[in-house]
Amino acid sequence: MADETRKKEILDKLRNGVIQYDEDACREGAQEAIAEGLDANEAIFDGLVSGMEEVGRLFEAQEYFVPEILMCADALYAGLEILKPHCKQMDLGVKGSVVIGTVEGDVHDIGKNLVKMMFDVAGFTVYDLGRDVPLDKFVEEQLKTDSELVCLSAMMTTSMVGMPKVIEKIKEKNPNCMIMIGGAPTSKELADKWGADGYAEDASNALKEAIKMVAFLKKLRDEKAQKK
Amino acid sequence: MNSRERVLKLFKKEAIDRVPCFSGMGNITETGINKLGYRFAGIHLDAKQMADTAATTYKLFGYECGVVPVDLCVEAEAMGCVINVYPHAEGILYPTIKEKLIHSEDEMNVSLPSDLASRGRVPLLKEAIRLLKADIGNEVAIGSYVLGPFTLAGQIMELNDLLKLSFKKADKVAKLLDVMADALIVVAKEYEKAGADYITVREMGATSDVLSPRVFKNLILPPLQKVIKSLSGHSVLHICGKTNDIVTSMMEAGPTAISVEQKNDVAESRKKLGGDALIFGNFDPYNVLVSGSEELVRSTIRKCIDDGVNAVWPGCDIWPTVPPQNMIAMMDEINRYGGKK
Repeated sequence: MADETRKKEILDKLRNGVIQYDEDACREGAQEAIAEGLDANEAIFDGLVSGMEEVGRLFEAQEYFVPEILMCADALYAGLEILKPHCKQMDLGVKGSVVIGTVEGDVHDIGKNLVKMMFDVAGFTVYDLGRDVPLDKFVEEQLKTDSELVCLSAMMTTSMVGMPKVIEKIKEKNPNCMIMIGGAPTSKELADKWGADGYAEDASNALKEAIKMVAFLKKLRDEKAQKK
Repeated sequence: MNSRERVLKLFKKEAIDRVPCFSGMGNITETGINKLGYRFAGIHLDAKQMADTAATTYKLFGYECGVVPVDLCVEAEAMGCVINVYPHAEGILYPTIKEKLIHSEDEMNVSLPSDLASRGRVPLLKEAIRLLKADIGNEVAIGSYVLGPFTLAGQIMELNDLLKLSFKKADKVAKLLDVMADALIVVAKEYEKAGADYITVREMGATSDVLSPRVFKNLILPPLQKVIKSLSGHSVLHICGKTNDIVTSMMEAGPTAISVEQKNDVAESRKKLGGDALIFGNFDPYNVLVSGSEELVRSTIRKCIDDGVNAVWPGCDIWPTVPPQNMIAMMDEINRYGGKK
């Protein structure tokens, strides 16, 4: 096990690699983390995710825009690919699987992919249906996988209106399933009206919401570790 | 003064009796489609059905324009993309791009097809504009729209890649956008020849929610300027999302008017651009017009006028399921309040 200074160095390399969209640095940091016996979950959360949190802040401050976020996400994935096989399954008392996709009539998937990324880092099993997904497919996939979370995305007003139908069908068959909607035209009011459990209006908010969710999981993990 | 005179005078910055209420983007309604007995998926592929449907928003509600097309895929299709009109969909699904033209960075070197004006649905659109003009062209101004170069590029290749390359390889993207601009010029000129009184250029993908004002100025603005300068009639530049930081650049692109949506603070834009600039906007076509109450529709229209828009105009396409009573309330409020300022 590396000493604290070295550990901090590696975590910083991962964190800064994400912030500076440097895929090579993230890969290198991830390899060092493995070689030197760092906990892979810790490297993901305190390195990669911590970097992504800063990216979210930079986006909000309008220093970063969507192209930068996309490049940061590539860097995060470069590190994640190496770290993931070494992760221990987090025991959080939930199964942790999510069905995600962009609704039929919409071929935009950037926001959806950012949210998916945060589920990936959190160790969720992600059933990504892609884009332009027929509404019934969400319902079927939820039933088939018994996922506790379904995320629906739409960037165009013209495609968002299919959402309430999916929400209704899923809730009818499985009232405990949580549903999150996202995309530029969505709003808190619409989410409430349609019976969705959460919403994010754009990629940065989606990222923030997903980070919040992952940060919550991280807190749970820390609390669990403390109890032990 | 009829609607046509009012709108055309507005474009020429001549005195008018009240603020007009119209759009340069799609504004067909389900009420109109049903009245004609058409199906939404069919009207994109039939010039007569398209023109008939577009005319109903004026005929039923007095909305002050006639606009075709209805979808956003005409130019991409003419460039060689394959579209999906969802022929069997029960509800309303707008056509999307099923098969892109560019699949990787190496394929970005596309050139302009010499027969673009006769490809895809461009001839169908010309016919639709002619029919629409013959039907209601004496009473209202006839509008049509094209995408902006960046938005079109985001349809013919992966938007994800386009955005990253705008950062990493701006030169390559600039070259592609220039070809896109040439394509849009060909299409827009055909629409003008067919009788469109005004053309809206919809650069929806280039909002400051997505790209920095710096990238907008360096990369997006030059090809946009090229398209707008080539138009001989009136033009409107529409950009969605947060636009307060780029309204000056939007004006620099040279349109007759700019169109902004609900995320723009119009009073603020007015201060920046001065009293002479034509600003169209900026109500939320879904949350106000479709799901809002009649009272919300009325108060929103008044707010647009108070904030200083020159035309009450939606932030995007009007969603077809708009309740007829809200369309009626909108036009009634315009008649009551539109001349007060």
